[in-house]
Amino acid sequence: MEHQNNDTYLAKWLAGDMSDEELIEFKKTNEYTDYKFIVDVMDELETPDYDQQQNFSATLNKISNQNQKKTTKVRTLIPSWAYAVAATLVLFLAYSFFFQQTTYQAQLADQTNFQLPDGSEVMLNAGSEIAFKSFNWDSNRTLELTGEAYFKVKKGSKFKVVTKEGTVTVLGTQFTVNSRSNFYNVTCFEGKVKVTSGKLNHILTPGNAISIQDNMATPYKTTEAIPSWTAQESSFNAVAIYEVVTELERQYNITISGKENLKVAYFTGRFPHTNLQQALTTVFDTMEIRYTFDANRNVRIQKYK
Amino acid sequence: MPDTQKSVCEQRVFEEVFNTHSKTIRNFIYYKCGDTAQAEDLTQDAFVKLWNNCAKVPFEKAKSYLYTLANNAFLNEVAHKKVVLKHQKSVSSIATHESPEFVYREKEFKAELDRAIANLTKKQREVFLLNRIENKKYKEIAEMLSISVKAVEKRMHGALVSLRSEIKEFKK
Repeated sequence: MEHQNNDTYLAKWLAGDMSDEELIEFKKTNEYTDYKFIVDVMDELETPDYDQQQNFSATLNKISNQNQKKTTKVRTLIPSWAYAVAATLVLFLAYSFFFQQTTYQAQLADQTNFQLPDGSEVMLNAGSEIAFKSFNWDSNRTLELTGEAYFKVKKGSKFKVVTKEGTVTVLGTQFTVNSRSNFYNVTCFEGKVKVTSGKLNHILTPGNAISIQDNMATPYKTTEAIPSWTAQESSFNAVAIYEVVTELERQYNITISGKENLKVAYFTGRFPHTNLQQALTTVFDTMEIRYTFDANRNVRIQKYK
Repeated sequence: MPDTQKSVCEQRVFEEVFNTHSKTIRNFIYYKCGDTAQAEDLTQDAFVKLWNNCAKVPFEKAKSYLYTLANNAFLNEVAHKKVVLKHQKSVSSIATHESPEFVYREKEFKAELDRAIANLTKKQREVFLLNRIENKKYKEIAEMLSISVKAVEKRMHGALVSLRSEIKEFKK
């Protein structure tokens, strides 16, 4: 047959480029049925599943990891390569625009409000810090928190708050996270929130809170509609007195000395952010802690008798 | 915005390029190595390089740039295992009205076809699968691989001939 000598006629057939005469002739051959069968079965083959989202975040991770490597590398380059360094830096700056972390801080005795790229609201309590990557924020809503914050989350993809003590994943909308040195507290005001700390997994519904101290989780209820600290108050539920005292320091930007005199005790109650004298009375008097307080706002905790 | 003004350095454009091409590039490499993890790794690397060089690569060149990168990266990986492609078996549509025996035979046949595909030369396999599974036109494949359309056709033809001779069913 004529086309036996041709080494592309099958390709033409597959692409539908055969002329009618060629096609009629080809269909008469034995090989045609074989080829037709192969192609029909081929049409049903598919490649393994592909997770585009996951691959995209993996790519972004590689890009940001490489950024870190690059910065360390830059320091070791010899001066004669200064131009190369400059060029690298320009490139680096160009994409760090997208990949760099954005950081918000609330100073001591201060609170700050801001919006995330998707319009979610964050209120940072005194002496707290939040960092996140605004690049690709909509599909990767993850932020790192040190301290305490209140979140009003817009609907959308998963929203995660990562702290030293554990991770909070939002299944709903409004919650606070408090992650200070040894103590971790999450309250849910609306929607659903998942708290992960070590092996512990806990789902909070509105009005529920959990506090984790020394690897012990204590769930409790709250009747507040918004966190008390956003209304010029700090409230506590069986929190170690040491943590309460450090919160006093943060809210009033003062130093309280003599903390080594504190005994192990747990405080339940609240103190105002607007009146130091009253706050000290509320905390220390109820706990029967003796202290001194002078005009320069120096507070000293006395030894127990 | 017209394509010529688009810059890959823009996050939005970069993501768009990723969404348009990453799957096909993954499969393109997968057809060569038969390892999804490796294929995805190389695909990600290609996009990292695209991002690093975004200022130098015009939007309309991004696609062929990515294919070249992925292809080179693949060639640079010295050790790769013998290709065994695992195709998802989708529900058989041509066999729905057929006898159980036919269905069984077709299943057998698919397994044999998989083996035969694995035995194609690398060049034949990538071209053949890009066309048959990814539905890429010969011209597109030629561009991706920087070869002529004629070369693509030869590989397509060779692949079919080789599949037919590999499959025992036809040799009875």
